[in-house]
Amino acid sequence: MLYFVRRAGFFLATLWAAVTLNFLIPRLQPGDPAQAMLNRLQGETTAVNPAQLEAIRKLLGTPDGNLLSQYWDYLGAICTGHFGVSYSYFPYTVTAMISSALPWTLILVGVTQMLSFAIGTLLGAWAAYRRNSRVDSVITLGSTFVGTLPFFWLALLLIFVFAITLNWFPDGGGYGGGSSPSWTWLFVSDAFQHSVLPAVALLITGPIGWIIGMRNNMVQTLGEDYARLARAKGLPRRRIALTYGARIAILPNVTGFAIALGSLLGGTVLVETIFNYPGLGRLLLEAVSNKDYPLMQALFLFTTIGVLTANFLADVTYGFLDPRVRRAEAV
Amino acid sequence: MTTTPETIDTEALRVTALDADASSRLPGWFVILWRNGKCRVGMLMLAAFIVIAVLAPVIAPYGPRLDEFGASEGPSAAHWLGTTARGEDVFSQLIYGARTSLIVGLVAGVLSTLIAMAVGLTAGYLRGVVDEVLSFFINLGLVVPVLPLMIVLAGYAPVKGLGLIIIVITVTGWAYGARIKRAQIITLRTRDYITAAKFAGDSTARIIAFEIVPNMISLIVVGFMGAALGAIGAEAGLAFLGLGDPQTVSWGTMLNQASLGGALTTGQWAWLVAPGLALALLITSFTLMNFGIDALSNPHLRED
Amino acid sequence: MALLEVRDLSVTYSPRDSAAVRAVDRVSFEVHDGEFVGLLGESGCGKSTLGNAVLRLLDRPAAITGGTIRFDGQDVTTTPEDDLRSLRWVDLSTVFQSSMNSLNPVITVRRQFADTFEAHSDALGNDLDVDARATELLEMVSLDRSVLSRFPHELSGGMKQRVALALALALEPRFVLLDEPTTGLDVVVQRDILDRLRVLQARLGFAVLFISHDLGTVMELADRVMVMYAGEIVEDQPAAEMVTRHLHPYSAGLLGSYADPRDQVVEVEFIPGRPPDLSQPHAGCLFQPRCPVAVDACRTVHPELLPASLGQVRCLLVEQSGDARVVLEKAAELRRRDQVFAAGLSERADAEPVLVVDGVSKVYKTRRGLNTTLTQAVDDVSFALRPGQVTALVGQSGSGKTTIARILTGVERPTAGSVRFKDEPVDHLGRGALRKYRRHVQLVFQDPFSALNPTRTVAYALSRPLRNHLGLTGAEARARAAELLETVGLSPADQYLDKLPHQLSGGQRQRVVIARALAPEPEVVVADEPISMLDVSIRAEIIALLDQLVRDRGIAMLYITHDLLSARLLADEVMVLNQGVMVERGPTLDVIAEAKDPYTRKLLAAIPRPGARDIA
Ligand SMILES: Nc1ncnc2c1ncn2[C@@H]1O[C@H](COP(=O)(O)OP(=O)(O)O)[C@@H](O)[C@H]1O
Ligand code: SF4
Ligand SMILES: [Mg+2]
Repeated sequence: MLYFVRRAGFFLATLWAAVTLNFLIPRLQPGDPAQAMLNRLQGETTAVNPAQLEAIRKLLGTPDGNLLSQYWDYLGAICTGHFGVSYSYFPYTVTAMISSALPWTLILVGVTQMLSFAIGTLLGAWAAYRRNSRVDSVITLGSTFVGTLPFFWLALLLIFVFAITLNWFPDGGGYGGGSSPSWTWLFVSDAFQHSVLPAVALLITGPIGWIIGMRNNMVQTLGEDYARLARAKGLPRRRIALTYGARIAILPNVTGFAIALGSLLGGTVLVETIFNYPGLGRLLLEAVSNKDYPLMQALFLFTTIGVLTANFLADVTYGFLDPRVRRAEAV
Repeated sequence: MTTTPETIDTEALRVTALDADASSRLPGWFVILWRNGKCRVGMLMLAAFIVIAVLAPVIAPYGPRLDEFGASEGPSAAHWLGTTARGEDVFSQLIYGARTSLIVGLVAGVLSTLIAMAVGLTAGYLRGVVDEVLSFFINLGLVVPVLPLMIVLAGYAPVKGLGLIIIVITVTGWAYGARIKRAQIITLRTRDYITAAKFAGDSTARIIAFEIVPNMISLIVVGFMGAALGAIGAEAGLAFLGLGDPQTVSWGTMLNQASLGGALTTGQWAWLVAPGLALALLITSFTLMNFGIDALSNPHLRED
Repeated sequence: MALLEVRDLSVTYSPRDSAAVRAVDRVSFEVHDGEFVGLLGESGCGKSTLGNAVLRLLDRPAAITGGTIRFDGQDVTTTPEDDLRSLRWVDLSTVFQSSMNSLNPVITVRRQFADTFEAHSDALGNDLDVDARATELLEMVSLDRSVLSRFPHELSGGMKQRVALALALALEPRFVLLDEPTTGLDVVVQRDILDRLRVLQARLGFAVLFISHDLGTVMELADRVMVMYAGEIVEDQPAAEMVTRHLHPYSAGLLGSYADPRDQVVEVEFIPGRPPDLSQPHAGCLFQPRCPVAVDACRTVHPELLPASLGQVRCLLVEQSGDARVVLEKAAELRRRDQVFAAGLSERADAEPVLVVDGVSKVYKTRRGLNTTLTQAVDDVSFALRPGQVTALVGQSGSGKTTIARILTGVERPTAGSVRFKDEPVDHLGRGALRKYRRHVQLVFQDPFSALNPTRTVAYALSRPLRNHLGLTGAEARARAAELLETVGLSPADQYLDKLPHQLSGGQRQRVVIARALAPEPEVVVADEPISMLDVSIRAEIIALLDQLVRDRGIAMLYITHDLLSARLLADEVMVLNQGVMVERGPTLDVIAEAKDPYTRKLLAAIPRPGARDIA
């Protein structure tokens, strides 16, 4: 029980830290951040409209406002869901922008990451089960080789080969030009077509960490005394591999999954940018290049909260999987 | 790669290195790495990259930003890998790009290893409240989505340049190393020889520096290589996203310009393939070395 | 026909990066139905390897490189794994050396039983009531059925080992291999489990191969004892015969390291040297470099295992002489000169105490979640340490011995009471004062493998206290370090100064640890179980060294142990600790001979008495 309380505590604390970090980052620059930002905006676009000015002031406070009261206002705004208005997509609110991009990312990342984890764990377990065999070398060497290929470069090659040269798939976007998002068969199949290449790009490199991790863990668990004892007990080899090897070896991978979620999102930003996919990652990059600070801030906060939540869920799952943690009095 | 830190026998590895030290004029760590086939190949590859980076002005036929050639040309005798949309020589850029990657890898790798050591060693050795607080930051650093954070930091930065990229990568990349070092020091500090050193009158600083750190060398090296690798990848990624300094010649900016400059549609495969392949080879060299060290320090993974 | 028949079995480790080791070399033996056979030998002599070979559990880089194993007439040397399964556990089960890790950590004890039954459902039928049978088995090893629903991490070491034993008996096997099944457990717990084992063996009638380096236990439990040295069986005799009329000089050495601490005069022997490197070829007798009665022929002729007395022996001398006893008596005589340590009755005058512990208590606060629990680790303990004398502190694990050591050395502060060193209070020292105090109080550790930094040379380890406490540097420090090594019997010192710990044997390391403790010329030395991790054959050697140092240098020593024999050998005074309370205290022989406290009696009862079975 204590384990879950502690994980929940950590979740809340990191949540607070992320919110605060989000507050602090724009204020790290010397001088009045709002003024600095205005100067920069003015340097590029000719005029700053009053709504933008208002938004910036809201985001970063007036020069004479004190930091603590700004922080207080900021927390209030977040709790009530007021993230302000986007500069670049004026007059849309930041919240509207995010909620239209969110499903795309959620589906693409959710599906590919689950699949990566499953594929990786299975392949890793298989390699460990057939340790030192040809299967093992093919899996280990193959995944190591693929793991060294830069991910975004692979994605570019995919477009080059399958979209431009072979013309099998569209070369980018979330759906075809004419249509607009709706739950019709036509649209869904079109969206699926568009998501194949990004998904493949994510799936080529996604499982690698899990393969290597699972293989190494399982090679180790199969070498432990309890696995040897299981052999002495006359348990079938497959049974030992499952309940004594894989069952225990998967545990570190689950925590690993929790921890890796944050960096997984990096891949999404790249893939969405390359494939021009209408998700959060591309939105973030656009916000950055358009100096759309409210959108940028809110996106960072959103992704962080998403990752923290997923991380918390993975931790909870881990607690259920590992009795040593679940049933321990203190962690 | 993902090995559980608990299983790494860094003490034994250090001992092997000391043994090798005694039996050879070369440094012990070099000897044991050299003995491992994978490590050896990795080290040779890395050495080649270093030579290329150092001798870039000699090797490259043109300046990397010299744009007086025909735009978007395919490979030819004068331009082995063709030219960019701006009329620069792709091959020369490729050579100079090695410099950027290696500098970023080295500097960001060293910096984040230092931070990781400072945080990990302090947390692991002092325990108690200090540990609780530092561990919180380590865990926070681990779960925060790194690339979005990098992007936001880069987005706010007033000037773009290699220095900024290095700082951003360092700030976001130390946590994993710190976590592993903390775990290792927690194991090592319970050794009786640490108590013995206290009884011999040694100070805490000396105990950490002379009794503990030497036993963690392999972990530190692996951590450094991991950090350097991460930094090289992150630089390429950021540059590819257009967040780097467009004036810096790097494999990431090359890919960015290739994709913006229409390499995909004009069929300039060399422009597209070469930087990625170079990056892949550099990463391969690190991976091979890591494999070797892993095999040496993790008895379970030894091939027999 | 024998149940287990091993013929000329050889096992070789062929690691990739070092030379091949012939760990088991042409070993032949038999185990009959219902027989209890002990297998003795120092660590590293190939016992576990042999056991794993018999179980067909060898993994790369180890492999059977010759010979046959027959079980119940069937040759199982090369039987494929799948065909072995029907034999495993039904006929042949095992308890591993380390109980800590032999249960699957993520399934309950019930499931560990259930999957054993499931794997053999063809032999057992499907209608077996797992809970009922498992409960019955647990009761056999004195465990409650509530254990069934627990996970391994919720059990103590002793409980885990009982579960392992119950599991081993689950299918009523005909043969059980026990590889040091109680090593690492508390003595009293060990005793309990072994007594249980003996009773069950008598009742169920399975045959046992019992591997151990603890010969007292083996002698007491086994019908027949085999002694292994450097991968070979060197002697094989009925247990009673082995106790009284062993023939091989190695067996004699091993047996000599045992004695009854209640005797008026207690003598123990040790075997100097260490086992040979099995990756090198050897001509002649493998024991020759350590053998006190070796003759010239021993260097060139390799002896065979030949019938002698009621069993078999591998020794040229026994082979040649008609009456082996005469030879061995001569050997005993030779050994006595320098390889024996004897404790008589100590009659030392009381000196002024250097360290006085007065009414010391320690309460630990442990926070478990929201509730804080208080643990009384030490409760109102008083004693004094005097120069030139050894005070033994005896007690079960968890009884507070180490806490007392920590308080004494200033690592921990007492909750109540005081510690005075030459009339200076030392129980609440600050950082600087503590460092000064430690010049006078030093520690000798239990585990010689953890007490020396694996990456620092012997010279470095010794130079630190010399520099910090005595201000010696450079050549001066090195000269003093060499002196210290000579003092602890590592001579010539030059050979050892620049060695790394892994280049030394366990005994040599422990000597270095002792030398380091002596470096600052301390008045008080606390030795925390300094011999418990060492092989029985060299324990007496270290005891002798400690004894000599204490007497020669007038050191006051606190000797912490759970082993009454070593306490008897070394200590002038014994204190028995039970749950933080000092329950008994007095001159060693008095406490041991007339133990009053039940715990002390239990400890005494736990000491194996070789040959006791035949007498009883
Ligand atoms: N994995 C291994 N690789 C190489 N040699 C080994 C390995 N395991 C054990 N040995 C060697 O085999 C010999 C016998 O070891 P072991 O059977 O464990 O002895 P015991 O059980 O009597 O202590 C020793 O010399 C040891 O060094
Ligand atoms: S053969 Fe020789 S060296 Fe070997 S045990 Fe017998 S007497 Fe000693
Ligand atoms: Mg053993």
